Amino acid sequence: MTFETLTLLVPELALFALAVVVLLIGAVRSSAYVGRGPLAEVSRGPAGWTTLLGLGATFILTFTVREGASLLDGAFVQDSLALFAKRLFLASAAISLLGSLTLRTGAFSRRSAEYHFALVASLLGMSVVASARELVLLFVGFELMSIPLFLMTGFLKREAVVPEAALKFFLVGTASSAMIVYGMSFVYGVAGSTMLSDIPPPLRDGPPLLMLGMAILLAGLGFKIAAFPFHMWAPDTYEAASPPFVAWLSVAPKAAGFVVIIRLYLAGVGTAALVWTPVIAVLAGMTMVTGNLMAIPQRNIKRLLAYSGIAHIGYMLVGLAALSSSGVAMMLFYLVAYTFGNMGAFLVVQAVAQSEQSDGIDAYRGLAQRSPLLALAMLLFLLSLGGIPFVAGFWAKLYVFWAAVERGMYGLVFLGAVLTVVALYYYLLVARRMYIDAPERPEPVQVPGLLGVAIVACVIGVVGMGLYPAPWVTLAQRVASTLFS
Amino acid sequence: MGGYLSVVIYLVMIVAFAIVSLAVARVLRPRRPFAAKLQTYECGAEPFGQAWVQFPVGFYLVALLFIVFDALAVFLFPWVLALRGLGMWAVVAMVVFLAILGLGWFYAFRERLLEWQ
Repeated sequence: MTFETLTLLVPELALFALAVVVLLIGAVRSSAYVGRGPLAEVSRGPAGWTTLLGLGATFILTFTVREGASLLDGAFVQDSLALFAKRLFLASAAISLLGSLTLRTGAFSRRSAEYHFALVASLLGMSVVASARELVLLFVGFELMSIPLFLMTGFLKREAVVPEAALKFFLVGTASSAMIVYGMSFVYGVAGSTMLSDIPPPLRDGPPLLMLGMAILLAGLGFKIAAFPFHMWAPDTYEAASPPFVAWLSVAPKAAGFVVIIRLYLAGVGTAALVWTPVIAVLAGMTMVTGNLMAIPQRNIKRLLAYSGIAHIGYMLVGLAALSSSGVAMMLFYLVAYTFGNMGAFLVVQAVAQSEQSDGIDAYRGLAQRSPLLALAMLLFLLSLGGIPFVAGFWAKLYVFWAAVERGMYGLVFLGAVLTVVALYYYLLVARRMYIDAPERPEPVQVPGLLGVAIVACVIGVVGMGLYPAPWVTLAQRVASTLFS
Repeated sequence: MGGYLSVVIYLVMIVAFAIVSLAVARVLRPRRPFAAKLQTYECGAEPFGQAWVQFPVGFYLVALLFIVFDALAVFLFPWVLALRGLGMWAVVAMVVFLAILGLGWFYAFRERLLEWQ
């Protein structure tokens, strides 16, 4: 390991150092010593702010890494896809943090350091996952990403539904990890190596055991991205955990899962990867149908957003099913648009939940009269998720469908277009509550300052990408083109 | 695939041996049960109560801390044996590893997990 290797690992080393610092803050200001001595004053302050600053610094440090470098004999790459994903993870984590810094819940102030330590540890896992081109490293990264997520889901352990949701997430998560490692064992058995570069591309004329291993791996990854039929954990988990965390949970681990799918099934394979199109297309179709139809009857806004999130995973799989450079590019664009729209919606949920003590859709009655700006922000997020022109989601859906049409998948695109209308129905149900129904109480919803900043950031993202998508499209195409050379 | 045939045969023989020996024993053995004979034999304490009771969560914390210690031991022994060939780099790597574990122990100590409550 040379000095040059270390310079290439700068984002990961920075995250590791940040995790150590945050844990030390927690140890010095331990909750066990509340009420004694000079360290008694425990606040949510230092750990959270340190994490936020650290994430910002790490984000800047990702730009110092030489793009396209590979280290540890090719087991770890800092290519443009990895760096793109890392910046997405860091930015979404920072937005989520802005939302959770203002949480008034006791657990968040008492155990602030543990929460932020888990967040940084999970981010480190995601960074490793995004760069790993070796099976064991990939698995370790996945575990490092997932285990803190279980902890963070169960963070408000005193509330009634939380332990159940955290346990479900934990069981599903460990089962999916087991499937991933089982699939990997087949792949290793065939290839005799854990390096992705030594594994033959999984093609139709390839060894059957390799195909079996890759199929099992895809199922394991399906759990991680919550694609049908592996989506059952998402609504329960989202309902129980705190909204700013869910905003991040619904975005970053999914992005990590997609990066791994791209690396395992597509990168460097070229058009021969089309053998996977039927599998991914069926997965995409079923995920879109399930997510959209199950969202309709929901009365809880978090469950509604959970099912709509599943549907969005389906749309992203449509882009992936095209298995082309443009398909991957459009999927990455969709991922960014979905990040802003979905995180923004969950942050508004946090604001309303904090003021109304309710996650029901009925809590949004007359929000437009009470807090017009908050209602407008929510409307923009919902329209973006629904795919209305001039907000980000419209271009995302259009581009993804366009990539699929290029491959002649008219049926899948037609299904997706029909389901977009279905999705608009349940998004507009929420909008009707906000704009047409009369409010139950006149006073405006209080939005804490930092949460407001996070919501505004998401609004800028959604509207900016909607009005001027060109730079994001160029970026996504540049990232995708390096994979298909 | 040919290499895996022996694994399959082995697997079948393992399962068959267990089934056959249990079945044969059931046919041949005399059956005269009495209370003392049906008790837990040698290993384990006398059973009492139901298994479905709540445990103090402290047990799990202690178990977790022990596993950390265990993992350390698992890594330390082969490290000591291989140290001569690996040189200074291995020492540095182990110091980093110990520092990470030590940090966890320090946190546990500050959270008062080492005191039985």
